[in-house]
Amino acid sequence: MNTLVDKALRTKASTSRFGERVTLLGLDFGSTTSSALLASAQISQGTTGHLELGEVKIEYRCEPVLTPFIGQSINIPEVALLVQHWLKQSGVSVNMLFSGGSMITGLAAQTDNAKALSQLITSIMGDNVIATADDPCLESWLAFMGSCSALSRYHTDMPILNFDIGGGTTNVAFGLNGNVLDTGCYFIGARHFQFAPGSYQITAMSSYGVALLDALNIHKGIGEILSADECKKIITFYVSALEAIVLGEHDFFKLPIANKLCQAPIHLASNAQSSITFSGGVGELIYQYISDNILPSTTFFGDFGIDLAKAIVNSPILSANLKTCVPEHKGRATVVGLTLHSTEISGNTVYLPKPDCLPLRDLPIIAKLALNASSEQWHNALVLAAKHQHGACVQIFDSNIDTPNQVKLLAQNIKNGLATSEYPQYQPLVILLQTNIGKALGNYVSEWGKSKVNLIVIDEVAPRNAHFVHIGRLNQQMIPVSFFGMH
Amino acid sequence: MIKKTLNKIEQIKVPEPCTSLPYNITLLDRNFTFTDLKHVLGAADISKAGDRKAGLAAADEIMREAARAMLSSLTLQHFYDNPLTNINGQIDSVMIVNYDINQAIFATITHLTLGELKDELLKSNGARIREIGTALTGVMAAALTKLLDVHELVYLAKKLKNGATAKARTVVGLQGTLSSRLQPNHPTDNLSGITMLLYTGLSMGSGDAILGLNPAIDNVANISSTLNHLDKIRRETGAPTQICVLSHIKTQLECLKAGAPVEIMFQSLAGTERALTDEFDVTVELLDHAYETMRKNGPLRDIAENFMYFETGQGSELTYNKHDGMDMTTTEALCYGLARRYSPFMVNNVTGFIGPETHLDNNEMMYSCLQDHFMGKLMGLAMGMAPCYTLHSKVTLEGQQMATELLTAAGANFFMDVYLGTDRMLAYFDTSGHDDQTLRETYNLRPAPEFLTWAISHGIFIEDADGNILRGENWGKPEIFCQSKSEFQRLQESVPAIYGFENAGARPSNKVSRLVKANQAVGREAIYADLRPTELGNIKLRELHTNAHNKAEYLNDAELGAKLENNILANLKAEHSDVQIVISDGLSAEAVHHNIPALLPVLLDGLNSRKLKIGQPILAPFGRVKLAESIGDALQAQLVVTLIGERPGGDALASRSMSAYFAYRLADNATQQSAAKFSGNAEMHYEYSVLSNIYSGGLPPIEAGSVIAEKIFEILQHQAAGNRLENLLQVHIN
Repeated sequence: MNTLVDKALRTKASTSRFGERVTLLGLDFGSTTSSALLASAQISQGTTGHLELGEVKIEYRCEPVLTPFIGQSINIPEVALLVQHWLKQSGVSVNMLFSGGSMITGLAAQTDNAKALSQLITSIMGDNVIATADDPCLESWLAFMGSCSALSRYHTDMPILNFDIGGGTTNVAFGLNGNVLDTGCYFIGARHFQFAPGSYQITAMSSYGVALLDALNIHKGIGEILSADECKKIITFYVSALEAIVLGEHDFFKLPIANKLCQAPIHLASNAQSSITFSGGVGELIYQYISDNILPSTTFFGDFGIDLAKAIVNSPILSANLKTCVPEHKGRATVVGLTLHSTEISGNTVYLPKPDCLPLRDLPIIAKLALNASSEQWHNALVLAAKHQHGACVQIFDSNIDTPNQVKLLAQNIKNGLATSEYPQYQPLVILLQTNIGKALGNYVSEWGKSKVNLIVIDEVAPRNAHFVHIGRLNQQMIPVSFFGMH
Repeated sequence: MIKKTLNKIEQIKVPEPCTSLPYNITLLDRNFTFTDLKHVLGAADISKAGDRKAGLAAADEIMREAARAMLSSLTLQHFYDNPLTNINGQIDSVMIVNYDINQAIFATITHLTLGELKDELLKSNGARIREIGTALTGVMAAALTKLLDVHELVYLAKKLKNGATAKARTVVGLQGTLSSRLQPNHPTDNLSGITMLLYTGLSMGSGDAILGLNPAIDNVANISSTLNHLDKIRRETGAPTQICVLSHIKTQLECLKAGAPVEIMFQSLAGTERALTDEFDVTVELLDHAYETMRKNGPLRDIAENFMYFETGQGSELTYNKHDGMDMTTTEALCYGLARRYSPFMVNNVTGFIGPETHLDNNEMMYSCLQDHFMGKLMGLAMGMAPCYTLHSKVTLEGQQMATELLTAAGANFFMDVYLGTDRMLAYFDTSGHDDQTLRETYNLRPAPEFLTWAISHGIFIEDADGNILRGENWGKPEIFCQSKSEFQRLQESVPAIYGFENAGARPSNKVSRLVKANQAVGREAIYADLRPTELGNIKLRELHTNAHNKAEYLNDAELGAKLENNILANLKAEHSDVQIVISDGLSAEAVHHNIPALLPVLLDGLNSRKLKIGQPILAPFGRVKLAESIGDALQAQLVVTLIGERPGGDALASRSMSAYFAYRLADNATQQSAAKFSGNAEMHYEYSVLSNIYSGGLPPIEAGSVIAEKIFEILQHQAAGNRLENLLQVHIN
């Protein structure tokens, strides 16, 4: 009888929040194309009791459209119409969104009004969608998560190096067992040179394209036709750069032109022995080529995408794992990453005495402290945090926390720091950590709710190398946490 | 064949109950007097824990043989004329249904004594045995079974194999087949986890009887969602089988009404009306309604001949103390008499599931399984078996495997496929896909024909030139159903205790088997370990004892651990604390050792911060959840929080899992009435909340201490617990 009683009680205590499906959104505005993806996911309990989003189902994906430009600027009114069109076509209203990410990437992120576009997306989408521009390492991270996350966990011991090659940039991420360990970004892409489709007659060039021609002693301009040898030189350079990344040949990027193309270097060891995967538009072409041996005709897309894909397939260094280690989503890796991985889910026992204080947007992560950081270190961090009137975040790099005394000591150091820094009582302070002790830590710091400090402790969030964080509203016992600013 | 209409209950003829007279018999030089027929039946069986507890088991072998001799001498007419009654001397609805027998056949055997019937059956072929079975009530079948030894139980059941078929999408129970129910239970009904377990089972040729999930959450939304998911997997893989989510029949009826694919309707049965109605919330009328609904509206109505699925198992009536003085075999047979009314597609027997209070050891479990299988087949049911065990009984893997070998020899229609035998939701151990394949190969059996064709087309099986069915290259490879390695990886990550997919022939590889067994060993040790007070930290505890004085008493009788010893109770005085903490080993002392040292200081810090009056924490070895009421009444505490070890499953880490039960004493009239009104139970004196899964792999103890403290604050503030509290909190939020 007890067994039945127990089971009934447990069921009643935990039923209401499972099974609900939530809607996730990703918007990617790239150098060449823009795309939108809507997915639904089910809130379920993982094997440890942690709430998580699973059973992901793609509900809507638009056909990629050319990113609207006027000259070197993004055509913002056009983008606004595009976004409204996507929402209408997908049948989703903004208030249905659980979380999402919007990113302006590649050459689009280099335009003078990229930040204005980011603000536009925020104004349309509201609090639950994080809009960022020019965050190349975040883009690399997202592309890896969108294409290789599960594959990397399947091959537990095999490092994976993913190249997400689009129109303007190659976003590189190195990961092991599902975790991204390093990222980088290079202005290597299909669209630094634009051609009249079917020919190599140049119609447009990016500043990086112009510089590359100059470095390669190719003296051609708009309206002129690149010869086969000239095309080969350009493509060979790109492939050499990619090979240098794989081989950890950092000297290559000391060349002035290579250095110019390096937006954020990745620091791979020369003996990394990674399996190599590709995503992005060029990645899509690569896997299409090795699968069917068929690609569209010369410069069909009006750029170097097809040539670059073929050259990569022909490189023994870059093509070694094309058939054995195949990523998911390929061309849509970034937008899938934005949709599914922009937001992490907190543990379901957090310290949040005033849920109404959320969301907290764009909080600077002002310090990353060890578990045993002293009162003085906390003082210094909180002095800095106090300067941010809208709130700030401190990330704790915790390891094993086994005893109440460890929690009490940590809490005491934080309390001391709060006191000596004269941290304003009503100013939000968010503490992020990985171990599931959020409620206990918050209670000890606040003396079980007696203190008026506006403290939020969010646990079960893995540390990330980011400068900002967005803390979403409490939803179904979960707090969405989004990192950005991964320069 | 499908029954188009049910006989009306009021038209079933049952003799009036007569005054019970004692049964006297002399065996050798000993005289035996049995109070009534129920006591003869009880004493005639082998000695089983549940019957011993009920005072029905024979005191010794001679008494048992005396009871068997008595049964042998009684005619079938005598059994017919003496229907067993409930505690009020009435014939309940389950007994009435059992009298819905073939009267014409009964007229031809009414004169036979039970002993003569036994000999007649042993001399008969299967068709004749089946015919006689239609004329027997459950009580007659149970009485007969008590005269049969192991060989006879196997021998007679085997003769009944031909004709024990049932048809939905597949035909299950044909000669030469051994089918399986693929049981993809997941502790949180995680759909990816369920998918992984389904893929694994299907790749091993399991699931031809049914894809059947025991849900963790029984509400319409979740059951509909899981039904639709099973349906999706069935369609995507193309496996010719049927699906079922084993929730309450009322929930399934609602799901069916809402359009969910309730292909097979499930319900657990009990052999007395009191247990059926009070505990399972089911009546014969409701079962009739469900049957008629399925016949008219079930998704398989045009192709299935049978569409009901029942589960039974010796001892459920006894554990609820609603067995009406009958032994476990007899009440089990009465379940079959009830099931027979609905010509079910499947009847699954889970004897061994409850634990040592009904079946203490391998012998009791094995013999009971053979009895049940024979009785079910005799009464015309498409009988499958799930010989199973929990770690707190003395039933072992070896005993369970011996039972499956014997039951295969006896011609069981199907077994379960629980991945590596470890049920991740119900914390018990059942047969696995490896076991099913091993038995198919050992006894030259195959799955249902439609399913076999599908499995051959997927490389799971191959048929050699001689017509032998062998494992194909894809046997045991769940990834064949996945689109990519990434998908396979994601699915794997959603199942706890995945030990690996390496096989050695039809068995798991030794590496995998060792992991499974090692985890079980840890779980079993957690149960049998004694509490070690020195490992519970520095907080001073007062030790009080329950009526269970040792582990064996505690495990075998749930009531003993629910009360403090009388002399202790007599000396306790009211303390009127706000909160009284009780720590007990429950079913895992190791859970207490691993959690209390970190949890208790945090919890007490939290309580002290509110200046609550806290009773000195109590350590009560061999305690049950209900012990809270014994202590709460004695100390007049407002809230008793019991920290108690959970029943270990097959995962070593989860064997350290503890729960916190919050028993709020409804001390004043207004609160009691409010709680009674909310629950519908006028007699309730305590309201309960629970927090489970406290261990390092779930809710870690430090955090749990804080969560428990906050829950206590809520309960005391709102003077409510359980669902009433949750409702009040919801109102508060809104």
